[in-house]
Amino acid sequence: MIDSRNPNWAFVAAAFLLIGVGAWLGWFRQARELRVDPPVAADLDQFRLMPNAISGTPPESYFAQGKLYETDAYNLSQGKRLYAWFGCSTCHGDGRGGVGPSFLDGWWLYGPEVVSIVASIRDGRPHGMPAFHDRMTIEQIWQLAGYVQTIGSYTPKTAAPSRNDDKQTRPAENRGPAKILFDEGPVGVHPDQGPSP
Amino acid sequence: MRAVADREGVRDTGMEAVELDRRLAATWSTPPGLWGALSTVDHKIIGRRYIVTAFVFLALGGVLALLMRLQLAQPEARFVGPDRYNQIFTMHGSNMMFLFAVPVMQAMAIYLVPLMVGTRNIAFPRLNAFSYWMYLAGGLLLWIAFAVDTGPDVGWFAYVPLSGPQYAAGKRADIWAQMITFTEVSALAIAVEIVVTVFKQRAPGMSLDRIPLFVWSMLVTSFLVILAMPAIMIASTSLILDRLVGTHFFNPAEGGDVLLWQHLFWFFGHPEVYIIFLPAVGMVSSIVATFTQRPVFGYLAMVMALIATGVLAFGLWVHHMFVAGLPRLGESFFTASSMAIAVPAGLQIFCWLATIWAGRPIFKTPFLFVIGFIVVFVIGGLTGVMVASVPFDTQVHDTYFVVAHFHYVLVGGAVFPLLGAVYYWFPKLTGRMMSETLGRWSFGLIFSGFNLTFFPMHILGLQGMPRRIYTYQPEMPWSGLNMFISLSGIVLAAGFLLFFIDAIRSARSGPVAPANPWGASTLEWATSSPPPSYNFARLPVIERLEPLSDRSDPLGIVEGLYTDRRELLITGVVEARAQARESSVGSSIWPLLAALATSAMLIWSIFTPWAVVWGSIPIAVALIGWFWPKGDPEDET
Repeated sequence: MIDSRNPNWAFVAAAFLLIGVGAWLGWFRQARELRVDPPVAADLDQFRLMPNAISGTPPESYFAQGKLYETDAYNLSQGKRLYAWFGCSTCHGDGRGGVGPSFLDGWWLYGPEVVSIVASIRDGRPHGMPAFHDRMTIEQIWQLAGYVQTIGSYTPKTAAPSRNDDKQTRPAENRGPAKILFDEGPVGVHPDQGPSP
Repeated sequence: MRAVADREGVRDTGMEAVELDRRLAATWSTPPGLWGALSTVDHKIIGRRYIVTAFVFLALGGVLALLMRLQLAQPEARFVGPDRYNQIFTMHGSNMMFLFAVPVMQAMAIYLVPLMVGTRNIAFPRLNAFSYWMYLAGGLLLWIAFAVDTGPDVGWFAYVPLSGPQYAAGKRADIWAQMITFTEVSALAIAVEIVVTVFKQRAPGMSLDRIPLFVWSMLVTSFLVILAMPAIMIASTSLILDRLVGTHFFNPAEGGDVLLWQHLFWFFGHPEVYIIFLPAVGMVSSIVATFTQRPVFGYLAMVMALIATGVLAFGLWVHHMFVAGLPRLGESFFTASSMAIAVPAGLQIFCWLATIWAGRPIFKTPFLFVIGFIVVFVIGGLTGVMVASVPFDTQVHDTYFVVAHFHYVLVGGAVFPLLGAVYYWFPKLTGRMMSETLGRWSFGLIFSGFNLTFFPMHILGLQGMPRRIYTYQPEMPWSGLNMFISLSGIVLAAGFLLFFIDAIRSARSGPVAPANPWGASTLEWATSSPPPSYNFARLPVIERLEPLSDRSDPLGIVEGLYTDRRELLITGVVEARAQARESSVGSSIWPLLAALATSAMLIWSIFTPWAVVWGSIPIAVALIGWFWPKGDPEDET
């Protein structure tokens, strides 16, 4: 069964090598953190926006973590849950808008960068978008912003969440990119930035 | 006709023994080196490889168990976090059920069944090679995923909606579901091979009532595999479809059904228990017959009990779902059927006890493990009858009582016989004996360690400790027993460590074994240890149930087979009269390539459904290469 001249040993060694390399890679991989360190969470609040509040720079720690709120399946699915819990759908529907703007019409009023979306949720925007900074933690705001970005993402994300156990109104986010679902709505291509942002 | 006349010289009729061995070895042996190892179709090499791989997975699963015990040894421990703990208990269960228990039982069959029925290779040898590579790929998929922190975290049963698209983020549940596909493909392949080998390749004269009990048990097991595994493959494939392409099999809002998952899973999951247990029954029968020096009492009753267990196994699955809110009448029916399966199980226990009673038992290590099996399995069976009743089950559902119960049944009912079987068949597997001294120590440590570890879990369960929790508060009255269990777990682990040390040491330098070291009476002991590549120089003819029991009456032999091609004998299903000479295929690299192509497609399909389209092209190429007609003599029949 076990003989040093036997090539079976080579198989066992190769299998362990593969698992070892996997563990080594896993060491560098972002762990699923159910509770973020308070200093890291505090740093998430320290992003800088352009003077017109469109686009900006996320905090350095966000890059050090590998932009996890845009790429990590767990955070995106938490974002999807927050989207339902905080009633986003009352204005934005299933992503196609309603009272509020659509995320699927191929047009981001404040640009597609995640910091713009975080700022929109945290501080609110004109024409009815409320501020959520006193209702959600900053970590939750980042999770929700990452999810909202995923809804209208131009390129597919492997980590995008799948459908909910609900009535289906549109294909799930992981059936993207959303470009194939873009619905420009009755006004057609936005000639300007919509109803003055 | 001229060709036939030319080949008269290569028939084995009247050939000298040395010349016959030389010619058969030239035809059947696997070429040395890496290419030979990758392309071999010898059931003994593949069987050994399977067994070693399965025991590696056993050791890895054992390490996970120790990690869980480390975490639970004291309240509010911080060794393992909740997310990692979820992955660890899921990996432990999935690994032990899908990568260890079922494959190792089938692996023993791959090695032993062709020897026990007296043929030269398993049916469909290339499928056999393919099955091993699929199994290995599935195991690596699961363990590499765990190493990169993407191990499944939804329990080994992966109930929806927890494992569904809404609540299981990432690819973790997909890894679990696709690992199922790998292991079920490999298990189904082996099941088909075993059924055909047993039905059509038995030695002439081995009529149905002369089949060894181990072969009977593997035959019934294989039918269970064929009938049960498609249910879980449908379930896991539906789950992947729900998660990836947004189908609604398990979405009640769109007309799907959450309970459908539980029904499909347990329609497989309960027979799975018997898929693990029945081979162990066959091993116990083999060991009991040899070490009591008499045939097993009640051969017909044993075979009927095997078949009855196999049939009843499909009528019990709802007892896993007693708290799911099903109609009362259904629950009563499944309580009755769950209790009914204790009848064939009890019948077998009494047949073994009668055999031991009437025989002259020799208490060597394999027999000690059988004694341990009877004690532990009966305790597990008794708690099984307890949890079969709805009111009791409602109280202890999802508590450590259930954990204790199924470890008594699975470890007692399968691992104890398996360890005994390894000690028993080790000389046939390696040509060397294992150490009797270390074996006794290892049995003592495993038996006492097992009972000290798992018996207190009954009490913990009755005290209300739930399963699958990563920690508990100091106010709960559980900490003393948990510390005791964790310490006992070390004793159990030491027993297994001793077993592994003994196996590795004996394989290298144990005493060389004769052909039949135990004085056993079944056919695998008629050939050398380990057997030559062609198993038997001349195929035997069987005239009674225990062909080696009478020394004065040697085995009859078959003559007239060709030696220049891989030839074996096809016999009838009932009487096993010779029907045809059939060629068995030679070495081929295509099973490995086909397995690689299939693995690539299955893993890719976790990420995009297009993988099924593009990934099927390499599979088609590999299968065309596999089945390409060679024009070799092997294609004649």
